[in-house]
Amino acid sequence: MVSIQGISKTFREGLSSRKVQALQRLTLEIASGEVFGFLGPNGAGKSTSIKVLLNLIRPDDGKATILDRDVSDRRVRRQVGYLPENPYFYDYLNADELLWFGGRSSGMTADDLRHKTPALLERVGLLEARKRPLRTYSKGMVQRAGLALALIHDPAVVILDEPMSGLDPVGRKMVGDLILDLKHQGKTVFFSSHILNDIERFCDRIGIIAGGRLRLVGELDKVVPAGETLEGLFLRAIADDFGGLPS
Amino acid sequence: MRPLWPLAVITFKEGIRNRALYGIFLLALLLFVANFLICGMIMQEVGKVAVDVALSAVSFSGLLLVLFVGINLLAKDLDRRTIYMVLARPISRRHYIWGKFLGMAMLIVTATAMLGGCALLSIGSVRWAFPSYFPRFAWSPVLLALMLITLMLVLLAGMSFLFASFATSSFVTLILTVVSYLIGHGVAAIKALVESPAAVGIEVSATTVRVVKAAYYLFPNLSLFDIKVQAAHNLPVSWTYLAGTVAYGLFYTALSVTLAGLVFSRREFP
Repeated sequence: MVSIQGISKTFREGLSSRKVQALQRLTLEIASGEVFGFLGPNGAGKSTSIKVLLNLIRPDDGKATILDRDVSDRRVRRQVGYLPENPYFYDYLNADELLWFGGRSSGMTADDLRHKTPALLERVGLLEARKRPLRTYSKGMVQRAGLALALIHDPAVVILDEPMSGLDPVGRKMVGDLILDLKHQGKTVFFSSHILNDIERFCDRIGIIAGGRLRLVGELDKVVPAGETLEGLFLRAIADDFGGLPS
Repeated sequence: MRPLWPLAVITFKEGIRNRALYGIFLLALLLFVANFLICGMIMQEVGKVAVDVALSAVSFSGLLLVLFVGINLLAKDLDRRTIYMVLARPISRRHYIWGKFLGMAMLIVTATAMLGGCALLSIGSVRWAFPSYFPRFAWSPVLLALMLITLMLVLLAGMSFLFASFATSSFVTLILTVVSYLIGHGVAAIKALVESPAAVGIEVSATTVRVVKAAYYLFPNLSLFDIKVQAAHNLPVSWTYLAGTVAYGLFYTALSVTLAGLVFSRREFP
């Protein structure tokens, strides 16, 4: 379903064009209907991996496919929903117009949109605010609008980059329920986070990335040994990059 | 066209609701009112002044629209990363540039239609107040002048897209667009001057001639789109000139946006 094969990516930073290796031979397979949690500290390469899947960044080496199509083929994204970390939208549009854009650009008919938009906005708690300009939304409301935009075209693969970021407990519950819904609908969810509780709650499998390298991947209940916590496992997996385990 | 249309529509809506647009319209309205007052004061060649001031107000307001609303429509997408939500759809980078440009062109056409309507009202009111100064006046050259101003602004927007496709900040895009506008309006006259310096008694080095010629061929000649004098004096404008200028404008616009799409398709968005 989602496949990343030996992806490497180096960025050049600053005036001196210092090389920063963001991803090193990353290989990952996510099966259809799986909720995959991508864990890692800040700057580990989570967002870079996601941007490669969306063709926002092109890898130096390796290949990424979704539904057996190379991610550089724009038609793949008809089947992909994406929520960026800290999403920003156009100031003067409202939620209705945002979803109209999302639906129409993904090939939905005007009729489909008329039926689906109010239901989805109600699901994310934005039905009453649907006609308000997005610039008047709070951070949590923007995040929920972004989630609705990611789901409007009923994609087979949903990619969520830190979906809980900036949400209050009510918003977190709403987003959490939505992810569980997607899981029950058999959608493939690729979801990055550094909130371990969320990963434990929603994911079938996890991958831990640090320093651009995949440190561990597997089914959640198999990779976390009995008597061990996900937090302990996570800290051990990234220990090399931080000069050992914190005391 | 299908992948472009939704992006063009939201670009147009975002642009038309931008508060900067209200300021530009307010300035234009003040210029139209000033037109009436200026004509009332000078009492000489009133008809010509009225047409010239009204068309200049449309041209200037349109320029502000391209520089302060148009450039921002693209720059904000890059600065605030709203481009992620667009490119996460089945929209290629080239489609993105064309969709944004189409929305911008719709915005320019709508804004100049509204400004043009006000300009016609302004001219009409001066004509009503001072009918004796409009013996040879006709509306059709004024309408043609408005059409060419619109096309010039669309072309300038296309050039701003080309600059934005490789510039690292919106300020650089703004400067390059302003420079293109200034060169585009003056280069034909400067070329004529440096090619026959003896006529005005000056000396010009061979390097200067080469630089001016290079600028002439590199930048579009925007003075072609300026027929304010013909409109003010009701002088004939041939259909050949009009068709040639429209074709020139469309060709240059398509070239700028196509190049912008090519450059943009190589960009990454980390």
